[in-house]
Amino acid sequence: MRTLVFIPAWNEQASIREVIGDVRKSLPDADILVVDDGSTDATTATARGSGVLVATLPFNQGLGAALQTGYLHALREGYDFCAHLDADGQHPAQEVSRLLDEVIADRADLVIGSRYSDPDAEAAADDYRPTLSRRIGIGVFRFFLTLATRQRFTDTTSGMRAANRRVMALFSEHYSPDFAEIESLQLAVRQGLRVEEVPVRMLERTGGSSFLTPLRSAFFIFKGFVVLLVGQFRPKQAEPER
Amino acid sequence: MSALLAATDSTTVHLTAQTRILAAVLAIAFMLLILDLIRRGRLQERYSVIWFVAGLGMLAGAAFPGLLELVADAMGVRDTNVALFSIVLFFLLGLALNFSVIMSRQAAQITRLAQERALEKAREQATNGSRRDSDAVRQGRRESE
Repeated sequence: MRTLVFIPAWNEQASIREVIGDVRKSLPDADILVVDDGSTDATTATARGSGVLVATLPFNQGLGAALQTGYLHALREGYDFCAHLDADGQHPAQEVSRLLDEVIADRADLVIGSRYSDPDAEAAADDYRPTLSRRIGIGVFRFFLTLATRQRFTDTTSGMRAANRRVMALFSEHYSPDFAEIESLQLAVRQGLRVEEVPVRMLERTGGSSFLTPLRSAFFIFKGFVVLLVGQFRPKQAEPER
Repeated sequence: MSALLAATDSTTVHLTAQTRILAAVLAIAFMLLILDLIRRGRLQERYSVIWFVAGLGMLAGAAFPGLLELVADAMGVRDTNVALFSIVLFFLLGLALNFSVIMSRQAAQITRLAQERALEKAREQATNGSRRDSDAVRQGRRESE
């Protein structure tokens, strides 16, 4: 059984080394691939210095394209399972291994690490607390996606996921470059894949900054709405190869 | 009755010989420009078909002014100018959409190309790395001997 953990990174030289170290500690048997999405800083060099494989995209193309690169690598190199987490240090690798356990036990094809699906959990001091505008955006997306998939999702934009080969086959072919997280969930559910959420603990980011400003958030939400609406009219494809 | 006839007469615009010649010259010049662009490799043949169709349409309109009135009639538009403008507008709209489709396809192709290149580089790194690893192992053995 071979597992690939890939880390999409865009200008994350400050945190990438730490994240790689964390993955190595929690998932010692997994291979690691950093997908550098056209960084202008030393992300690639830093990651290479840590001794992991780095796929450097020649120019920045957005999270979707970076994630797809990871899925493509996992599929082609014959990995049985793969997982990805953010490069900014918000995702503890220990939690990623819990997601992988779900996929390995074949309880789901795609597992999403959710910040919110366990509201009763005691909040630790360094736990993730979203801002108001972010909470609104997340609420709106949660509503749309639940409407579109008829399945309850609490954390639609989570970048911590684990998947098996069925998902690799699907995502390496179809992955929206603009609206990676949400459209991919819709797509997976529509293709009849088992998608599941697992509550995870997330930390405040250690490096980099969020790209969301209020105006951008509004545009982001509008775009998300259009993307989901259009996605509902996409033809369902034949079962992806197992 | 005669008032109605007079009204239709005044709204129908007849092209003068002068404008017809001008339109024909422009259409021919336009098609020559397309030909020249293809010849110099600035425009690919597969994207030129639609422009030739546009040029021929312009030429046909200039040669047979009755054609435009026929079309306007079929559209139920009394003013041929309005018909002409709406036809051109829809043609340009369709063309812009066509470009968006082509652009999307090319964007997807560029993304895949970049991904392939990135993975290729990662594989290169992997083979170089393992070579270095085995070199290091050999080096280690030599040192221990």
